[in-house]
Amino acid sequence: MRTRSSIVLAALLVAVAALVAAGCGGGSSSSSSGSGGGSGKLAADQTITIAWGSEPPSLDPGLATDTTSANVLLNIMDPLVKLDPKTLKPLPSLAQSWDQKGNTVTFHLRKDGKWTNGQPVTANDFAYSWLRTISPQLGADYAYQFFGIKGAEAYNSCDPKKQDCNAMKSKVGISAPDKYTLKVQLTSAQPWFIQQVAHTSFLAVNRQAVERWGDKWTEPSHIVTDGPFKLAVWKHDAEIDLAKWSGWRNAKDVKLQRANGKIITDGTTAVQSFDAGEVQVNTTGIPPSDIPREKTQDTYQNYPALGTYYYGLNVKNVPLQERKALAFAIDRKSIIDHIAQADQVPATSFTPKGIPGFSDIKTDYLQPTADVSKAKSLLGKTPNANKNITLFVNDAPGHKEIAIAVQSQWKKLGINTTIKVMEWAQYLQFLGPPPNQAVDAYRNGWIGDFVDDINFLQLWTCKSGNNNSNYCDPKYDALVKKAENTTDNAARYKIYAQLENMLTGPNGAFPFVPVYWYTYVTQEATSVKDSFNVNLLDQFDLSKVRVTS
Amino acid sequence: MTKFIIRRLLWTIPVLLLVVLFTFLMMRQIKGNPFRKTERAVPASIQRNLDRKFHLDQPWYVQYGEYVKGVFTADLGPSLVLRNQSVNDIVKSHFPVSLELGALAFLFAIVVGIPLGVLAALRANKPTDYVAMLVANIGFAVPSFLVATLLIYYCSVKWNIGLPTSGWSTWQSKILPSIALGFLPMAYFARLVRGTMLETLQQDYVRTARAKGLRWRRVVGLHVLRNSLIPVVTAAGPLLGGVITGSFIIESIFAIPGIGRYYVNSVTARDYSVTMGLTILYAVIVIFANLVVDILYGFLDPRTREARA
Repeated sequence: MRTRSSIVLAALLVAVAALVAAGCGGGSSSSSSGSGGGSGKLAADQTITIAWGSEPPSLDPGLATDTTSANVLLNIMDPLVKLDPKTLKPLPSLAQSWDQKGNTVTFHLRKDGKWTNGQPVTANDFAYSWLRTISPQLGADYAYQFFGIKGAEAYNSCDPKKQDCNAMKSKVGISAPDKYTLKVQLTSAQPWFIQQVAHTSFLAVNRQAVERWGDKWTEPSHIVTDGPFKLAVWKHDAEIDLAKWSGWRNAKDVKLQRANGKIITDGTTAVQSFDAGEVQVNTTGIPPSDIPREKTQDTYQNYPALGTYYYGLNVKNVPLQERKALAFAIDRKSIIDHIAQADQVPATSFTPKGIPGFSDIKTDYLQPTADVSKAKSLLGKTPNANKNITLFVNDAPGHKEIAIAVQSQWKKLGINTTIKVMEWAQYLQFLGPPPNQAVDAYRNGWIGDFVDDINFLQLWTCKSGNNNSNYCDPKYDALVKKAENTTDNAARYKIYAQLENMLTGPNGAFPFVPVYWYTYVTQEATSVKDSFNVNLLDQFDLSKVRVTS
Repeated sequence: MTKFIIRRLLWTIPVLLLVVLFTFLMMRQIKGNPFRKTERAVPASIQRNLDRKFHLDQPWYVQYGEYVKGVFTADLGPSLVLRNQSVNDIVKSHFPVSLELGALAFLFAIVVGIPLGVLAALRANKPTDYVAMLVANIGFAVPSFLVATLLIYYCSVKWNIGLPTSGWSTWQSKILPSIALGFLPMAYFARLVRGTMLETLQQDYVRTARAKGLRWRRVVGLHVLRNSLIPVVTAAGPLLGGVITGSFIIESIFAIPGIGRYYVNSVTARDYSVTMGLTILYAVIVIFANLVVDILYGFLDPRTREARA
């Protein structure tokens, strides 16, 4: 008894000692990165493991709405057009060319597109897929991506219980005059339509697979794809492995043989997996507390994003000059340096930096830092200023901390801010539409779906469901309408500059205060760092990745 | 005994119906829209299509009736958010993982916790006792996410002793999460066993057994331990339920494809059918865990068996 108990005790003591040591010894950091230095030579083993930030909710292009699904889809499917990673101009992919006459766009497809079941990829596949996504029966969240196409919104609004939806389906402006020509009729010129087609909701699905397997067609054993990679493994919430498909039309240029994926939602775990060398790319992200440490490593990467973090202001509760004062009182740079920490860019306009046409916009009215004296003088001109602001934020990590900083910055103007925190789903419903009158200020963000400023500026039109500030200026709406019909890029960008000026220029209406432009933070092993790139829409192209030794 | 079990099983039906009704009504009470996941507002026509597809356009009692019918035919409905999966799919692929994790954690808690408590009681107020109770107190005070993070940091990153940081595939990957999840129940068992053992050791029958000249090992093994385990079994039922269902944090830290995170995430996402399906699942687990506990009582303490018959 005595001897055995002492063995048990000894084992337990070791366990305790380990934990106690762990408790005391924290603080030191490790720095083992995924792989050795990159000499530029191609490694023998072209395999990487990626940490994905979430389980893809759906790999059906019609139903996918999130970044993870989009990134898997864009690598296993063949889009009509791709975006140039730098300039974001549309580049031919499955469509070898296209032309636009008035409101009609015609895509000319390559003839060597192939599905993994051997069928050719044709214009009919696209017509079928797009009409499927628009159909009221599918219930696609992103059906609105197609609302610029003639008859699409009417078909989507059809109630199959009461109306003949097939009649409306036949009126949608999508047709395939021959196997390799796809014709689209738009409601207006929409010069950004070609770029928009790079979005995942415009990918084709294989009709045979969809009709045979129904809801389950996206499982790895059923799915039929047409891109550079195949979905080899998908263990829900655990693993998603993509393997190179040698049957793809351009497979000879694809170096990567396999991209294994681990689904890791927790940022700290993702960083630890990367540090332990279990993954070579961490797309989950780095928690703010780890960023200062990881930033010093050469595996840290930071990409600009097409998104704006802003504080909306209810124009009915906060007078114009006060709104300007609030905008000038915010110290964007210190918020980024001390709270957000992921090298975000101080936002001086709603239009994010990097979007085509950004250089036409004068964004020097607001500054990255605060101008308290200017804010005070603006506030002095406002006799009916609202000195007690109620600010709403949602409860995701980081927002409250920023709100507290803003509270203290506004306090310098003599304004008392009450912060109210709400859970995300309730918060969205609370803000509107219609806009909530109890709100003076609210936090929100906007991430672009496609690479045209209209995606941002449309938000502030009177009827926009995302405009929660009660801002409504018919002149602004008329100018947006004009932009929608201006096909010449240079001329349209001039209109965008005017629109932005109406929001954040010297005579702007300030229905919001821009805070920062988002960034995407990743960790990449030096062996893939040169070839792994994330574009402004948070997308990466694995067919361009090469592992060096 | 059989009669007792049958009666208890029949009782689960009204309990389940009530659980379904309450969850159903409460989920409808919290605001939020399952189809609005981001800041983007959902256009009216798309909202209507989705409501129609998932029958949310019908009156609540019709939805409830349909749902109950589904439950009794073992169909928990489609997920509103994971569009290609049904609740049955989710349960089928993720529940076994949580069950395994819970069982391993529980095993760790019992195998380490009970001997620790026994040792502490037999060496009461001696160094062995102090060390054992220090462990137990640490286990009580330190939250599981900290234990998990420290285990990963030291075992996987710093010393790299061959245990991966995350996942649930090889046996190596199952060690750290089981310890992290089992740490608190282990501490709990240790303290509980120590307390009840000390009490039992004072009992007259223990003195009698010793006076009879029985070997000390036999006294402890047969009389003391058996009588000290009754409170442990009482605590074990709900604890087992808690370990299986309460593993959300451990599952997300170790990236384990278990069902705990679905429970939490489905509420945040307003995925009504998943929340309700999992609530029913958990209700069933807790009911059965308690039933097993009641049956075990009968074996450990014949008096309770007679009282019920």
